[in-house]
Amino acid sequence: MKITKAVITAAGRHQRDLPLQTLIDRDGIQKSALQIIIEEIITAGIHDICVVIHPGDAEAYAAAVGAHAHRLTFVEQHEPRGYGYAVLCAREFVGGAPFLHLVGDHLYVSDDAEGIACAQQVVRVAEAHACSVSAVQATRESLLPNYGAVGGKRLPNRPRLYQIDHVLEKPTPTEAEQTLLVPGLRAGYYLCFFGIHVLTPAVIELLAEQAATNADTMTLSDALARLAHRERYLAYEVIGRRYDIGVRYGLLNAQIALALAGRDRAEVLAQLVELLATGAATAHPHA
Amino acid sequence: MTHLVEIITTSDPHLRNRSLDAFARQADMGTLLEECAALEDFRKRSGNLYERVRALFFLYAIYRFHLPAKPEMPKRGLIPFEGYEHLLSRRFEEAIAAFQRAWRAHGPSDALASALAEAYHRLGFQTLADQVRRSVRTVRGNQWMFRIGHPADHPLRIRRELLGAKADAGAGQDGLSRISGGVILRERTPVRMDLSHSAWSDIFFLGMDFPEGARVLNVSIDLAVRGRDAAPRPPVEAYLRVIDEPVLRLTSVDLGATADLTHLRDVFDFARDYLGLLKAAIIASGIVPPGMEGADQPLSELLARLVAPGYGLELVSNVNDIPKGSRLAVSTSLLACLIACCMRATGQARSLSGPLAEHERRLVAARAILGEWLAGSGGGWQDSGGVWPGMKLIYGVLAEEGDPEYGISRGRLLPNHKILDEADAGEAVRQTLQDALILVHGGMAQNVGPILEMVTEKYLLRSEAEWAGRKAAMQVLDDILAALRSADPRHAVREIGRLTTYNFFGPLQTIIPWASNLYTEMLIERAKQAFGGDFWGFWMLGGMSGGGMGFIVAPEIAQQAKARLHEIMLDVKRELQYALPFAMDPVVYDFAINPVGTRADLLCGEEALMPAGYYALHAPRLVKLDSGALTRMRRADLDRFANATRSRPEFAGMTKVLFDRLLPQLDHAAGSRDAGRSLEELLSAFGFDRAMHEQIRADLRSGRIGLAQNRLPANVQIEDVSACSPTSDPSRPLVDATDRAQMGEFERIGAEALRDGRVAVMTLAAGAGSRWTQGAGVVKALHPFAKLGGRHRTFIEVHLAKSQRVACRHDARLPHIITTSYLTHDPIASFLVRQPSLPEVPVHLSEGRSVGLRMIPMARDLRFQWEETPQQLLDEQAQKMRESLHAALIAWAQRSGEGSDYTDNTPMQCLHPVGHWFEFPNLLRNGALRAMLDAYPNLRYLMLHNIDTLGADVDPAMLGLHIARGACLTFEVITRRVEDRGGGLARVNGQPRLVEGLAMPREEAEFALSYYNSATCWIDIDQLLGVFGLSRADLDDGDKVNKAIRAMSARMPTYITLKDVKKRWGHGQEDVFPVTQWEKLWGDMTALPDVKVGFAVVPRLRGQQLKDQAQLDGWLRDGSAGYVERLCGWRD
Repeated sequence: MKITKAVITAAGRHQRDLPLQTLIDRDGIQKSALQIIIEEIITAGIHDICVVIHPGDAEAYAAAVGAHAHRLTFVEQHEPRGYGYAVLCAREFVGGAPFLHLVGDHLYVSDDAEGIACAQQVVRVAEAHACSVSAVQATRESLLPNYGAVGGKRLPNRPRLYQIDHVLEKPTPTEAEQTLLVPGLRAGYYLCFFGIHVLTPAVIELLAEQAATNADTMTLSDALARLAHRERYLAYEVIGRRYDIGVRYGLLNAQIALALAGRDRAEVLAQLVELLATGAATAHPHA
Repeated sequence: MTHLVEIITTSDPHLRNRSLDAFARQADMGTLLEECAALEDFRKRSGNLYERVRALFFLYAIYRFHLPAKPEMPKRGLIPFEGYEHLLSRRFEEAIAAFQRAWRAHGPSDALASALAEAYHRLGFQTLADQVRRSVRTVRGNQWMFRIGHPADHPLRIRRELLGAKADAGAGQDGLSRISGGVILRERTPVRMDLSHSAWSDIFFLGMDFPEGARVLNVSIDLAVRGRDAAPRPPVEAYLRVIDEPVLRLTSVDLGATADLTHLRDVFDFARDYLGLLKAAIIASGIVPPGMEGADQPLSELLARLVAPGYGLELVSNVNDIPKGSRLAVSTSLLACLIACCMRATGQARSLSGPLAEHERRLVAARAILGEWLAGSGGGWQDSGGVWPGMKLIYGVLAEEGDPEYGISRGRLLPNHKILDEADAGEAVRQTLQDALILVHGGMAQNVGPILEMVTEKYLLRSEAEWAGRKAAMQVLDDILAALRSADPRHAVREIGRLTTYNFFGPLQTIIPWASNLYTEMLIERAKQAFGGDFWGFWMLGGMSGGGMGFIVAPEIAQQAKARLHEIMLDVKRELQYALPFAMDPVVYDFAINPVGTRADLLCGEEALMPAGYYALHAPRLVKLDSGALTRMRRADLDRFANATRSRPEFAGMTKVLFDRLLPQLDHAAGSRDAGRSLEELLSAFGFDRAMHEQIRADLRSGRIGLAQNRLPANVQIEDVSACSPTSDPSRPLVDATDRAQMGEFERIGAEALRDGRVAVMTLAAGAGSRWTQGAGVVKALHPFAKLGGRHRTFIEVHLAKSQRVACRHDARLPHIITTSYLTHDPIASFLVRQPSLPEVPVHLSEGRSVGLRMIPMARDLRFQWEETPQQLLDEQAQKMRESLHAALIAWAQRSGEGSDYTDNTPMQCLHPVGHWFEFPNLLRNGALRAMLDAYPNLRYLMLHNIDTLGADVDPAMLGLHIARGACLTFEVITRRVEDRGGGLARVNGQPRLVEGLAMPREEAEFALSYYNSATCWIDIDQLLGVFGLSRADLDDGDKVNKAIRAMSARMPTYITLKDVKKRWGHGQEDVFPVTQWEKLWGDMTALPDVKVGFAVVPRLRGQQLKDQAQLDGWLRDGSAGYVERLCGWRD
């Protein structure tokens, strides 16, 4: 299986501006978040990219990615029917081929010793196993309200790989404990989505079936839950970190992470230390 | 391997189910001691929970019942105080070790055996309880709640639908401005009634050890109180909504309580108010997870995460006035209902409305068990059965790999539920059952806890009769299931009636005789008479009878039968109202089988209303506030309520209710009355001494008297007393009268005195038996406590029957004086007149002439009682409950005024008897002694005894001993057991006397005493009159008598005591308050140097007292009941 296409979703009501935010990337260059995401995709060897957007956002997005604009296909999402529907909007673009999917409000920093980017790690696994793969990260149960989560078992002799049996969107810890326990994880930790997936055409079919029922809100997790019963579907525990730039201080966190993982690490560290030293005297501690 | 260890470890069911009793009865003492050593070693080694527990119960039973019955077992012994302290602190292993050390050092004794039995028994229950807790915590779906300790980690979020319509239109980061509220989630849950519980097989321990035998057939029902409600509906409801204040607002409509909680610690403070159940639901549903116990953050932090910053939650419970003790698991159903509602609201159940899915119902049941543990209560695993629809079989399941119980217990904690379908129970059968069953609440509200402990114990011991009873009860369930499948509905229901009646009189009472009572059996008898062939059967609901019960009649007479049964219940209750603890008047229900189980609805717009009672509670407070002080949501809520009062029938009449609340009627303030008499009238009628009362109050407030001041000075020397043979030197104070061979001569002397009419019995029956019914204020003497001679008998009947037998054997007249008090006189007098077949013994009443008025306790005394005297530590959760309750009660005492008169109860509950020292003086004051001496001129001796010393009779040998030794007073004592607390016979600074427990200078001093006061005392009338400075001739001189009594009274110490008194309110609700009262005690006569006193050791069966209903089962099993029965001569 060869992955040649990628889909970024960025049409969400409260997410439209996020990809346009500007950050300094690891090389010390100022870029939009969207551009950083696109470069993550390109590193994985994919050059044909679709961005699902809110109607009318194409121009601003194209401007935000600079030299990469020519690689992008913009698809407008006209009905606010949820995340799953946004992915379905790219149906024509993917045209029956497997594709890499990233969300438009996350940035990633790889911790891989060889420096393999997060998206690239996932694409390699998917190509090797010829099936859908979702990147996951062991996440504390207190964060379950923010993520989709999977349950399953480890693949023998395949570190970081899991056979997915169940998928739940933003589960309560009660549900998670009953269906999503994964042997080998610490108590209270679950495998939550990382925001990177390689999806087979079956997912688009399942989303289409869901859309045909006129559901008001379609989650990707529902389609993935059914996918787990239909075909082989793996989870891969990525060597890296994700940063949700849509939450409070998310952008700041992402920026610091990028900076500390890049060329200007020493400079930024020095600034942080100075900030801590001078800020400590005036801070209002909240226990 | 020894025989008993083999019984425990074998997998062969025949051997495994063999009875301990059968083996232990024929084994000699040496064999039993060897078995005990092997069991002790085995239980320490075994890794299997149930092997350990069964070994513990075997050890308990051998030490409690079998070793004491062996003739060679020494009676006298001392219990090391160190072991007793361990016992109180729940360090059972250490207690056992201390008792075993004493056993090895000083040899076996009845005293030590009793202490070991107690320690093994409690360790057995503790081990079981710990396992249930572990299992509840490890149920998947519950574990996370114990890990979450900080509000910032809270993983639940409120469902968006509850935030109001605008939330969907898109919110800002915090969603603040968008939340409109005005949406209520309402959960309604039926209660459950069990057609059969296979002899209490729903207790956790049984289900976890013997899942094959753990089966319950239960039915979800809606209820209406006949004559009050229009139609049956689910009796319990929970309401939840988002509010625009950062608090957790809890309201119990049925208990009339509400509170705004602002801190995490408030949620875990269960006993502070009547909202414990709601708090348990909040915790067990994970809204405030149990892992946060001990955290002290404001709740607003947690609510900001769960709901939104600045917002909170309101949870309301509503029980449709179903009285407590209904045996329909109302409180567990309400807990499950509240939990289900909270779980839906936080996304832990998929659907916000409609019924629950099966796996969600199971989780609600598991959480309800968790909630009951948290709140310190306990129910069976079937009690949340109302969550499921219709009729269902609930059955235990073997633990399998993957279950948390696997490898620990045979069965799982949580049972499975099979909902009966049309083939299992056809619609016509269900309808006929519904038409034929009359569901009632008999009015008694009793604690079923001790019964459940007995069931566990008897199951583990497998005594022959009880094990056969269990098997028969299991068959009853199969037979009921077969009957339900019948094609002929009338036949089916008739058969069910036959089976449930058989179950009640057969297997259930074989296992637990205390499941029945005189009231229930009178009702059944009268229902049979009233309905003849149309009476199809009786059906015990839940753990015991007397409260919720069922009567099955031919469907065509059911409507008239309901009215008739109500009359019968009222009549019988009136007859027994002083004998049994009734909490309320009986009621008859209408009911319907609920085919849905628990279900929820989302109430929006004008429908978003709380139950009417909620507004009756809240609206009066809100209207007093400035409208500007009301939040937006509260104003909207009041608007909806105001509209509802105009347009909705269920809110009609609310305007009047509100007016009544705002402007309370005057006559409420006038105080309550008893039988038309006010407290002041009662006090003057019963001889209340106001001057003495004020003196005691002043002494109490100034600290001159009090619990600490009851004690003898610390430097007093307290030593044990040894007994000598009855025929030895008459100057020795204590003789051993247990050796009958030495008593022959005394028996002859006594028999002669009996024939001559020189003796009478004086039975003390003035008390309310505060321990017996936990302060319910009934007449203990009239309590039909057990079946003897084939019928329920009262204490009085038993005492008269013993005298009848003695009189018969010795051809004597043996008159009785029964002493009474303001509380017991009229009921006892009327009982003696009404009771048709009383033994033929002349009875005279001596009416009490002294009464006290209870006082609000001093906080100092409450603290002394709870903090400075050794208290039984309860298990972890119950102890937390108790500490919280103690703090609340100390606050109550301070708020109400320490040492002031206790008047906030029915007048009779405000009075108190002043101790049995006054009983003999009363005989002098009220003329009873003079009348007796006139009627029986030969009369010289009295045998004075307590109402609960059931084994005491006029034994001619004891009478003869008293006469021969020439004492003024001879007190009977018994060898001590661990449960005999409260002083004993001691040499105090060299002088033998009885010392009350209250007066012991140090706790441990009592443990150096071998003998305990049986409270039976032989009196030489003339000598005693002499001590008072009187003679027979003076009895006509009232003034002289009064002066003599006052002079003697002044020489007697006054003890301050705390007693629990029940205050009843609402529908069968009861609160217990500690109140201060004072007393003077007869045993202190032994401290007077001018009184010639003797003491005699008597057999335990003769001298032991029955103080607590929980003792009854052991009393029946250890031969005590048989002993008493042999002493009695019945007329019927």
